Formats: sequence, C-alpha cells, structure tokens
Amino acid sequence: MSEKAFLHLKDIVKKFGNFTALDGVDLGIHKGEFFTIVGPSGSGKSTLIRLLVGMDDVTTGEIHLNGKRIDQTPANLRPTCMVFQSLALFPHMSVGQNIEFPLKLRKESPAARRTRALELLDLLRLPQEYYDKRISQCSGGEKQRVALARALAFNPEILFFDEPLSALDYRLRKTLEKELKDLHARTGKTFVYITHSLEEAMVMSDRIAIMKDGCIEQVAVADEIYGKPVSRFVAEFMGEVNLFPISADAKGTLLSDFLLVKNCLEVNVVPPNAQGLLMVRPEYVRFVNDGESYDFNLSGQIHGEYALGSRIQYEIETTAGIITVEKLREDRLNASNGDAVTVGFNSNCTHFICDAI
Amino acid sequence: MPTSLSTRVVLYFYGVVIIFLLYLPLVSVGFASISKARYLSFPIKRYSTKWYGEAVQSSTVSELLTTSLWVAILVTIVSIVIGFFGALAFARYQWRYRTLFQKLILLPIFFPQTVLGLALLMWFNSVGVIPSWKTAVVAHLVWIAPIATLIVSIRAYSFDPALEEAARDMGAGTWTILREVTLPLLMPGLISAGLFAFLLSWGNFPLSLFTTGADSTLPEWLYAKMVSGYSPLVPTLGVMSVVGSFLLILLALTFSWLIRVNRESRTTQKQKIL
Amino acid sequence: MNALDRKLGFLSSLPLTILLLISFLAPMAVVALFSVMPAKVFSLANAPDFSSYSVFLSQGYYKSLLWSLGMALASTCILLLLCWPLAYGMAKVFGRFTLVITIAVVMSLFVSENIRLFGWVLTLMKGGLIEGHWRAFTGNGFDSPLYGVGIIVFGLVYVYLPFMLFPLAQGIAMVPDDTRQAAYDLGATRWQVLWQIEIPLAAPGIVVGSLLSFVLAAGALAESKILGGQAVIAFADDIETAFTFGQNWPLGSALSIIMIAIIGGLALFGVSKVDLDAIMGRKR
Repeated sequence: MSEKAFLHLKDIVKKFGNFTALDGVDLGIHKGEFFTIVGPSGSGKSTLIRLLVGMDDVTTGEIHLNGKRIDQTPANLRPTCMVFQSLALFPHMSVGQNIEFPLKLRKESPAARRTRALELLDLLRLPQEYYDKRISQCSGGEKQRVALARALAFNPEILFFDEPLSALDYRLRKTLEKELKDLHARTGKTFVYITHSLEEAMVMSDRIAIMKDGCIEQVAVADEIYGKPVSRFVAEFMGEVNLFPISADAKGTLLSDFLLVKNCLEVNVVPPNAQGLLMVRPEYVRFVNDGESYDFNLSGQIHGEYALGSRIQYEIETTAGIITVEKLREDRLNASNGDAVTVGFNSNCTHFICDAI
Repeated sequence: MPTSLSTRVVLYFYGVVIIFLLYLPLVSVGFASISKARYLSFPIKRYSTKWYGEAVQSSTVSELLTTSLWVAILVTIVSIVIGFFGALAFARYQWRYRTLFQKLILLPIFFPQTVLGLALLMWFNSVGVIPSWKTAVVAHLVWIAPIATLIVSIRAYSFDPALEEAARDMGAGTWTILREVTLPLLMPGLISAGLFAFLLSWGNFPLSLFTTGADSTLPEWLYAKMVSGYSPLVPTLGVMSVVGSFLLILLALTFSWLIRVNRESRTTQKQKIL
Repeated sequence: MNALDRKLGFLSSLPLTILLLISFLAPMAVVALFSVMPAKVFSLANAPDFSSYSVFLSQGYYKSLLWSLGMALASTCILLLLCWPLAYGMAKVFGRFTLVITIAVVMSLFVSENIRLFGWVLTLMKGGLIEGHWRAFTGNGFDSPLYGVGIIVFGLVYVYLPFMLFPLAQGIAMVPDDTRQAAYDLGATRWQVLWQIEIPLAAPGIVVGSLLSFVLAAGALAESKILGGQAVIAFADDIETAFTFGQNWPLGSALSIIMIAIIGGLALFGVSKVDLDAIMGRKR
C-alpha cells in the first residue's frame, strides 16, 4: 500500500452492534483516478462510502485525504461530495438553485453563482433554459446531470457516487456511463464509484476493488480482475467462468479428475505441490474438431444453446458439471441438444487460483 | 448526518418530560380524589376512599353515567358506519367531487365546538326539536363522524385497489366485494375509529353543553361543579371517567394483540403441517 | 377515474354529506340568518337589520376577539418551538419510543379537557400539588401563577399540543433523509439544513399543525374560564354569554359569524395549500 495515496484508508472497521459491516479495510486511491468499488448487496460497499463521506463514524481505523486525517471531520467540513443513489435533489428548488446550493452556502455573489451554474449546465450538456426548470419537470437522465452539476459546483477533491445509475433503464445507463467517463477525463477529478454491476465498473474504471463480507478481496485494473482473479468469489462475480479443481505433484505434473491434459510435463500452469482451481472464461473454450488438439480437453453433450445478442452461449454437460462456452454469432455451431462434443482450451488462456476450492 | 448520542439522550429526555407534564394534572386529580378533607389542600394529611363510595351510591352519578354511555355508544355505532363509507369516498374511489368532499369534512373538525353547539341549539329550536341527549348524539356526530372518516381513510390509503379489481374479475358484485374484501381489510381502521369515537364522545363537553337540554353528561356536570366551586366529587368522578377510558383502551389493545398472536400461531401451525 | 369508481364514490360519500348538510351547513345558515335579525328576537320572522354587527364594534367585543386571536397566535408560536424537537425525534430518531409517545399523547386526548385543566388548577393553586409541597418543605409559599393571561396561554399550549405535534411529526417524516444528508455533504451547517431544507420540505405539516392549533385555540373557552379565572374574556366566552345570560341570539349569531369568517377563511386557505392525499400517506 503506497503511503502516497491521495485517499488512504487504514484498517477501517465498522460495527453496528454485534454486526461487523466492515472488517479491516485497507485501500489507497490515487489522485485523478476513476476508482470503482464493486460488490454484491450486503458486502459493505455502501457502508464504506458513507464512512468516506462522513455520514457515519468509523468504529476503528483512519481515513487520510491528501495527507490529512479526515475521519473525525464532520461531513459538511470534508472536501468530498457524494452523488446519491436517490440523487437527493431538493424538490423545493429549481435546477439552478440546486446547482447553486453549495455556492450559496459559501456566500458567493448571486452573479458569480449564476455564471458558475450556467457553466456547469454547459459542461453537462444541459440547455441553459433548464436553469429555471423545476426538478419535477426533469427526466431521469436530466436529474442525473443536475445532481452531477450540483456536486461539481461544490468543487470537491473527491467525488463519490453511490450507484446513481441503478434506477435508470438500460440504454440511458449505457449512455450515462460513457458520459461519466468522459466527464472524468475532462474535469480531472478523483471519482470513487460504487456499484453492484460489474459491467458499469468495467466500462468506466481505471481500477476496481472487489468487496465481499466487509473485506476487500482484490484491487486491480479491470483486465487483471477479469483475467486473473485471486479467488473463486472474484472469478464468479466478474462474469461467466469455468472452474476445475486441479493440483500438481512435487515434479509439477498436473493432476486433474476431469480434464484430459495433452502433455502433462510441458504444461506448467500450476506450481509444484500446489492445488487450487483452474479458471477459463467461456470465450476461450473451443469446440474441438477432428485433427485439432488443445492443452486441456473434455467431452460431453450439448445441454442448451442461448442467444446473447452478438454471441451464442452453449452449456455442455460433462463429468465436471456444466461447462459454458461462448462463440461469436458468426461461428455458430451446427448442432442440436444431446449431440456429443469435445471442448478444449490452451493453457495460455487459463488462470490458476491457488488454494481455492 | 448521524444524530450524536448526546442529542439522542436530550431528545429522549425531552420526550419523557413532555409526557410527564401531559399527565401531571391527572396525578393531582388522582391525589385529590383520595383526600379525606372536604376542602382540598396539599400535602394531603389523611387519605380515604369515602368519596368513591359516595359517588357509587349517588343516583345523580348513575344517571350521568347512563346518559354519557348511551350517547357514546350511539355515536360510536353511527360513526363506524359513516366512517366506513366516508373513507371509501375520501381515499379509495376517484370521483368528481372528491377534493371538495375532503375539504367539507375537515371543516367541522376545525370548527370551534362552542359555536357549533350554539348553532345546533338554534337550529333545533328553529325546526322545533326539543334538545335532549338524543340531539347531543347528533351534535357529537357532526364533529366525530369526520374524525372517524379520517382514521379509516388512513387505512384505506394503504389498501391496494387491485385487490377489489381482482375480486370483481372473478365475478364478485359490489356488495360481495365490500363484504368479503373491503370490510375485512379496513377492519383495523374501523376498530380504532370506533374506539376514538367512543372516547371522544365520552369526554366531550363543549358540544354537549348546549345540546343536551334537560339531560346532562358527565363532563357537563363536572364543568358546572368546577366553575361554581369545589366539590370533592369532581376529582373522584374525574378519576372514574379517566380510569374507565383507559380500561377501554387497554381492553382494545389486548384484544388486538390477542388476535395478532392467534393469527401468527395459526400460520406457524400451518407451516408445521406443510 | 372509471364510471364505476365515480358512482361508488358518490354513493359512499352520501351518509356523511347528508349528516353534514343537515347538522352542520343548515345550522350555519340559521346562524347567518339570525345574525341579521334585530336584537333579542327568537324567531327568524323579522325584518333584517345589521344592528348586531354594529354592537360588535360599539361595545368593545372586538377587544375580546383580539385577545383570543393574540393568545391563539402566542400559543401557536410556542407550540411550534416546543413540538419541533419532539416531532423531529418521533420522525427520525426514536424508533419504537415513537409509538410510546404516540399512545401516551393520544390517550391524554381522551380525557375530557375540563378534567385536565381542573388538574392544573389543583397542581398550581395556592395549597396545590406544587405550592403545598413546596411550603411543607421550605416553610415559604409563593403566589399561584393561576388567573392571568400567561396561564391561559399555557393552558392553550397544553390542551392543543397533540394537534401541533402529530402533523409536525408527519411533515418532518416527509423530508427525505437523503436530501438532508446531501445538503450537509455539500457543506451546510445544521442551521442551514434546518432553514433551507427541513423547514421548507416539512412545510405541509407545519401549515396543518399551526392552522389546527391556532383555529382551535382561537375558539377555546375552557382555558380562560377554568385557569384564567376570567382575567381576560375569550371571544367564545362572549358568544356564549350573548346566547345564555344575554338571551340575545342575534348578537351571539353575529359574533359567531365574525369568528366563523376568520377561522373558516384561514382553514380554507390552509387546506387549499396542502395536498391531503400526500399527508395522509397515499401509496399510489
């Protein structure tokens, strides 16, 4: 953990009575980064962000921002700001008044406030006429932008996002994800985003932290989290995955109950004397035609075929359970349920998760 | 913005103080009712329950209680019926004059009761009705039936109209729906409306004052004695009236609790069988 | 709004509407008619004049009206300050304790106002619960605070507390927690949150609560009679006297109409500003 991190969390513990919501969280977030915390509901990510913003107090642990300790500072004095899941726009104020609210609190002149608010409307691609609109007259996406503008008006050192896109429909969410990423690039601010959606995290983030049961499981860039998860939980949380129990003896010879390994001696994905899970994502699994061979092979029957838009997913019933295979639509297999097939994949597409079960 | 522990403690304490002050006068009345002396003065030197004995034997008291009870019972029954239909019109059905209706029924609640009582007195006089405890029932209803309607409405608001639509879809007629779906669902609201109606009628004074004619209810009698000078029977009857009310509330709370326990035990039994 | 709903809505409103037509609106009409009758008549078969209204001005009845309105205003302001913290606690802090407070306050409502006010007399009078015990302890008594304007306002505050407390708590409960926290997060102090977020958003509850307590206090009678010892005459008292001792129905009616106009105007104004469906918890 780098001591130079812009936002630095040291061993954060949060307890509600007997329930431990956060169990020793350490995290360093760099300046200007788009950092996403992902986890299923109940993993503690919402609690964590509430602590960071100052809406709850830490039980033990420290939060440092830019070298200064802030965990005892009340929320209104922290240079951080959050975009709420509900957006929390003030229904009794106009769009302009909402955006100007933090400026008004700082006693800026009405003219300066108005100028800044109009700039922010521009930045978020909202027409200037929206200044006088009522919040109830705005659509979901527009409200989203107003909430962002209000947070940016505060000019925080870090902007927190508590799943602000979760209530929107799919298409609008996709648009706003890209806009948010674009806004991040243009403003150069540090964004910390929490979500339960892996897709959102992958599209927008520089780095991702995965949370489970109040602990951070893994922190890495998106590709690494996807391709090299540290645990079964991360692997499965980050999308469809095939996992096979595997081990190696003292000489590094692979031992597997289910996989047919082509050349046990040449494939060294598992260190000697280690055991764990071998992971392969469905898009790397191939159907084996006559005459082809892969490092790992497995035979079974087609159990189901599902169209996923641009891709086709197959479920193959094997001795190791159901294996998922994905192909591009153009590579669709000419087969039907119950047909016997052999599938295979190469070792360079796999990732070994040590000690996982 | 977490509420700090000290704020919470202060707020709790404040709540307890308010409740204490709310009931402090009743404590005084309670002590006064068991003071032996004819002229009350604190601290009380000798206690006795003789005033209760006198109250129980007095024929005036039993007359007062009978009148109050009859008025309250009639008001309760009529309020429940009116409140049931009124709440449906207030909260459930979307009809043309709904907002007007909502405002109309708020007016009597806002209205100064003394003036309402006097107005009713003139009205009864103009149409040639001689005031008695029966006219007091009407007077009470003007104020209590709208309150009962509001109480049932709170329940009616949380009621999903789809339930009625589903029943209609399965072929039930309007009356069947009212009886089989609406009535059972609104029942908790009707019970609390009935309780409110009874207790508000039981304790009401300003409406009774001008509309009971030659009859008299308990609060009227108490008021007459209060302004004309101290009588040891005033605190005694006051306590009896309050204790009566609270016993009724206790009864109602126990009853609703029993129903809930009964229902829960039945569902757990079913789960066991399944 | 379908046809069936319209029909059923109309039909089910009938019992209450008929009750109110016969025993509320009709009596009001009678009061209005009597108010323009000559003094001291007991039938409506007289030529109308407006003499009773001029008596209102000439004989100083407006003074008691001003007293009543002033005391109602004072008690409403005090109630607002007194109830806000408790209502806030009930809406946002107390949890289960809210139910305890609600039951305790509602139960006190069922005790006749007379008995409760009489209880205050016993508590505060010379030789009462407080002074009597104080003197027994210290040997020195003190003057009773009874029989003055202050104690009347106290009585109004005491009696009408529930009518402020519950609407206020409902109003505060309607302020979303997120908006309070968002304002705080954007740098607002507690005072700024209170003035710029909580009070504007709880306004419906504040309006209803203030209106209820003001209107009820303005028409109150028992507080000034029982606690105030007639230190000032309440307007409702004047009305009652005109009817009973004065045997002057037209004067009583005229005074009633003046009160109805003020209170009714306020009530209608307030009710028209507020979305009843939202306050009472519509879930649609």
